[in-house]
Amino acid sequence: MPPEVRRGFVIFAGLFTVVAVIWAARMNPIPPADFSLQNGTDPSTLDPHRATGQPESRIIFELFEGLLRMLPEGDPDPETGLQPLAPQPAMAERYEVSEDGKTYTFTLREGIRWTDGSPVTAHDFAWSWQRMLHPATACEYAYLISEVRLATEYNSSVVNIGDRVEVELWDRPGETPLSEANVQHFPRGTMKYGTLRAIVKPDAPELSADATEEEREQAQLDWEDRWIYEIDVADPGAIAESEAETTLQRFAVSAEAAAADASVERMHGVLVDFKHFGGAQAIDDRTFVVHLNNSVPYFLNLAAYYPLFPVNQECVETHGSPLWTKAENIVSNGPFRLKFRRLRDRVRVEKNPYYWRADSVSFETIDFVSLESQNTAMNMYETGQLQWVYDLPASVLEELRDRDDFHSAPKLSIYFYKLNNDVPPLDDVRVRQAISMAIDRRQIVEQVTKAGEQPAYTVVPPGIAGYQGPEGLKENVEQAQALLAEAGFPGGRGFPKMSLMYNTSERHRPIAEVIQQQLQNNLNIKLELKNMEWGSFIETIQQEKYEIARYGWVGDYPDPNTFLDLWVTGNPQSNTNWSNPEYDRLISAASSELNPKRRMELLRQAEAILATELPIIPIFFYTSAEMAKTNIEGFAPSAQDLHPLSILRYRSDDPSTAPSKD
Amino acid sequence: MRNLIGYLLKRAAWMILTLWAVYTVSFILMRSVPGNPFSGERSIPPAIERQLKARYNLDAPPLQQYWDYLVGIVTRFDLGWCMGLEDYSVNQVLAEGFPVSATLAIFALVFAIVLGVTAGVISAVYRRTKADVALMFAAVLGIAIPNFVLASLAILLFVFMIQLFPAGGWGTLQQIALPAFCLGLPVAAYIARLSRTGMLEMLTKDHVRTAIAKGLPHRTVILRHVLPGALLPVVSYLGPAVARVLTGSLVLEKIFALPGMGSHFINAATQRDYTLAMGMVLTYTVILFVMNTLVDLAYAIIDPRVKLQ
Repeated sequence: MPPEVRRGFVIFAGLFTVVAVIWAARMNPIPPADFSLQNGTDPSTLDPHRATGQPESRIIFELFEGLLRMLPEGDPDPETGLQPLAPQPAMAERYEVSEDGKTYTFTLREGIRWTDGSPVTAHDFAWSWQRMLHPATACEYAYLISEVRLATEYNSSVVNIGDRVEVELWDRPGETPLSEANVQHFPRGTMKYGTLRAIVKPDAPELSADATEEEREQAQLDWEDRWIYEIDVADPGAIAESEAETTLQRFAVSAEAAAADASVERMHGVLVDFKHFGGAQAIDDRTFVVHLNNSVPYFLNLAAYYPLFPVNQECVETHGSPLWTKAENIVSNGPFRLKFRRLRDRVRVEKNPYYWRADSVSFETIDFVSLESQNTAMNMYETGQLQWVYDLPASVLEELRDRDDFHSAPKLSIYFYKLNNDVPPLDDVRVRQAISMAIDRRQIVEQVTKAGEQPAYTVVPPGIAGYQGPEGLKENVEQAQALLAEAGFPGGRGFPKMSLMYNTSERHRPIAEVIQQQLQNNLNIKLELKNMEWGSFIETIQQEKYEIARYGWVGDYPDPNTFLDLWVTGNPQSNTNWSNPEYDRLISAASSELNPKRRMELLRQAEAILATELPIIPIFFYTSAEMAKTNIEGFAPSAQDLHPLSILRYRSDDPSTAPSKD
Repeated sequence: MRNLIGYLLKRAAWMILTLWAVYTVSFILMRSVPGNPFSGERSIPPAIERQLKARYNLDAPPLQQYWDYLVGIVTRFDLGWCMGLEDYSVNQVLAEGFPVSATLAIFALVFAIVLGVTAGVISAVYRRTKADVALMFAAVLGIAIPNFVLASLAILLFVFMIQLFPAGGWGTLQQIALPAFCLGLPVAAYIARLSRTGMLEMLTKDHVRTAIAKGLPHRTVILRHVLPGALLPVVSYLGPAVARVLTGSLVLEKIFALPGMGSHFINAATQRDYTLAMGMVLTYTVILFVMNTLVDLAYAIIDPRVKLQ
C-alpha cells in the first residue's frame, strides 16, 4: 500500500470512530412514567386470546376489560394481609343468573367505548368469544369455558351428521381456489350455514407397516382433507329457523377434491355453528347471554379473566394477527391504552380517556419494565426507578421482611413433586406415603426458600372461601420406615435408585438437595438428582419418562377444582399414570352439584383421596414476597396475585412522592 | 487495488459458505434437541398444537422446512416470525436490539482503546516505576475478574455508595456509562498489556534509537516512531475484542437491564424459538465475519509488511 493510502486510512479510521461515537451518543430520553413496575420476562404477546403468562396478563388486564373485573371487596384479612378480590361489574353494569345456574344474562353499560371511539357492544363479546374458541386461534385457555354450549365441539372441530354447522369457503383475502391457505383466519371467507347431511369419505390410504407415527398422522390429515361434506345450506336470511329453505351443497378442503368434481366447493373446514347456536349470544347491542351445559360455580370469576376479554373485530381484521397488537394499530377498551412497546425494555401504557371510569384512574402513564434479574429489579427499586417489585432475591429476604414496604401473603399456588405411578415401586401406595412422610417440609421452607411459604400436606392452598381441605399425612419418620418395610424394603434395602428431576433454576436445586438428603437419612433411599433445561424437562415429563419430577401449579380461578381436576384419569396435564375411579366420580359429581356446600364437601372428599394416595407429593404453598413504595394507596397482596393498577394512586399530590428521574 | 477487490470478493464468498454451514448445523441441532417452541407447563391439546405448527410451517417435512426458510432468508432477508415473542418478526427484534448492542459496543471499544493504549504507553515509557507496576497490576486484575463480578462491584460503588449512575435501564447516556465501563475494562486491560509489550519492543529498534540519538524531543519520538509500530498488535487484537464485547454483553445486558440483542440469544435457545435463535446465530456470524475482515484489511493497510491474500 502506498504511504498516502496509509495516511488517508488513519484519518479515515479516526473520522469513522468519531462518527460512530456521535451516532452512539444520540439518545432520546423519555420522561419516567408515573408508576413503574417489574414485569419479568418480555411479554410474548398482547393478544388476550394468545397470551398465557403472568407478564402478559398484567398488561392485558390494564389494556382490556371484560364483562366483569376482579376488584377489592371488603377489608384485608387481618391474619394473612390478603385483600379479597371479587368479580365486579365492569363492561357489564349488571348480570342475572338463572335459577339452575346455567344461563347468565349480562347487560352492558351505556356509552362504553373502544380507544378508537366506537361503542363496545354485546356483539363484540360474541365475536371475541368465537375468535377465542376458533381452533386456528389456538387459545390455550379455551378449556376454561368448555361448559359453554357448543364451545368444546367448536374448539376441537368435532362435527356429527345432523349438526348445525358453518362452512368457511376458500376465499379469504388473497386466496384463489387453487392457492395456499391464507393463515389469517380473520377476516373469514364467505360463510355458509346449514345442516350436515353426510360425509363422503374416499378410501383410506394404505400405509406400510413400518410407517412412523408422524407419517401416519400426516396421511390421516391428508385423507381427511379429501372428505366431501354434504350440507343442506340454509338461506342466509333464515339460518336460525328450523324450517328454512335449504339447498344441498358439497364441500371439501383439498384443492384436488374440489377440482375433480365441479359440484364440490373448496372450503377451510366444517365446524359446528357456534355463531347462531353456541352458548355466547348477543341479543341486542347491550345484552349478552351465556348458556352453559352445566352450572359452573366460578363462572363469574372466569368472566373477569383476560382470555374472555373482548378484542376489536375491525382492528383484528384490518391488520391481521399479530400485527394488530402493534402500538400504532391496537384498539382496546381498558383503563389504559398502549403507548409504545420496546423489546427487553418496557411496555408503556397511558390513561385511556374513553374508559368509562377514566375519572377515577390516577396514573397518567405506567411502565411495565421487562426485568428478569431479581437483583437488578431490587437495585432499581431501591434507587427509585421502580415502585413495585414482586420477585425478590432470596438472599436479602430476611432483611426486607421487617420493612414497611414489604408485603407477603399466601398465593393460590403449590410446589410439589410428581411421581410416575407406573414405575415400581412408586406404584405402591405405601412407598409413596413413606416418601411423603419422610420429608421435613419445615426445613425446606425455613432454611431454603425462606419467603414464608407454608408446608403443604394437601394440594389445595388455604384461603379459598368456603373450602376447608383435609389434614393430609404429616411427617412421621418412624411410620414412614414401617410403611417402607411393609412394602418390602426394610431399612431401604433393595430399594432401587430413583432419579429426581428438576428444571434449571436457582430455586429448585437446593430444594431437591435437601429432599435427597432427608430421604437418604430417614429411609435410606438414594435419589439421583437430574437437572434439565426447561424445554427438555417438559418434554420428558409429557412423555412420562421420569420417576420423580418437581412441578408447580398456579390456580386459574379461586376454586379447589382448578387444583383437583388435573388428577382425573386421562387428564393430559397429569402425567402421573395415577387413576382412581372413586376420585373421578367425586370430581364429576362436584361439577354438576348446584349446592355450593355439598359441592365443596364432594371436592373435600376427593382431595382426601388425593392426600392419602399421594400420586404427587405436595411440598409447600407459595407465598408472595413483594415490595411497593409506601406512598402508594390501594396496594395489597391478593391470593390470585392480581393487582388492578387502575385503583392505585399516590397518597398525596406532593411532588416529592412522585418517582425520581431515571 | 486489484488484490484488495479480489480479497474482498474472496472473503464474501467465504462468508456465504460459512453462513450456509452455520445455517445447516444450527438447523439440525435445533431440531434434534428435545422440546419444541410450544411446550409449556400446561400441555397443549394436539389439535391446537397442530394449528400452531401449521402457522410456523413446522408441519412440513424437515427438508422442506430447511429449504423454505433458506429461500425466505436469501430472497427476502425474511427470517420469519418469532415463535416465542409472537407479536414480533425476527427482523423487528434485530432492528430493535441491534442499535442498542452497537451503541454499547462502540462505547466499550472506544473506552477500551483509549484507556488501554494510554495505560500501555505510560507504563512502557515509565518502565519499572511505581506507575508501571500499578498499571500492570490493574491490568492483570482487569483480565482476571469476570465482567459480572466487575458489574456487581461497580453497582455497589457507583450506584449505592456514590450515587452517580442509575442501577439499570436504557435511554440516557448516564445509563450507558456503567455497562460500557464493565464491558470495556477487561478489553482495556488486555490492550494495555499488548501496547506496553509493543512499545517496549519498538523502543529497542534501531530507527528509534537513531531518532533519540539525533536529538528529537522524547515526545515526538514516542508519538511518531514508536507508537505506530506498537499499535499493530492492538489492531490485530480488535477482531477478537469485538467478539469479546459482543459475547460479554450477553451477561451485562441482563445485569443492567439493557434491551440489546444478547439476551434474546439465550432466551431463544432455551425457549426453542427456532426462528429467533437462527436469526441471532446468523447475525452474530455476519457481524464477527465482517469485523474480522475489516481488521485484516486495516492491518494490511497500516503495516506495509502484510500482504492481503
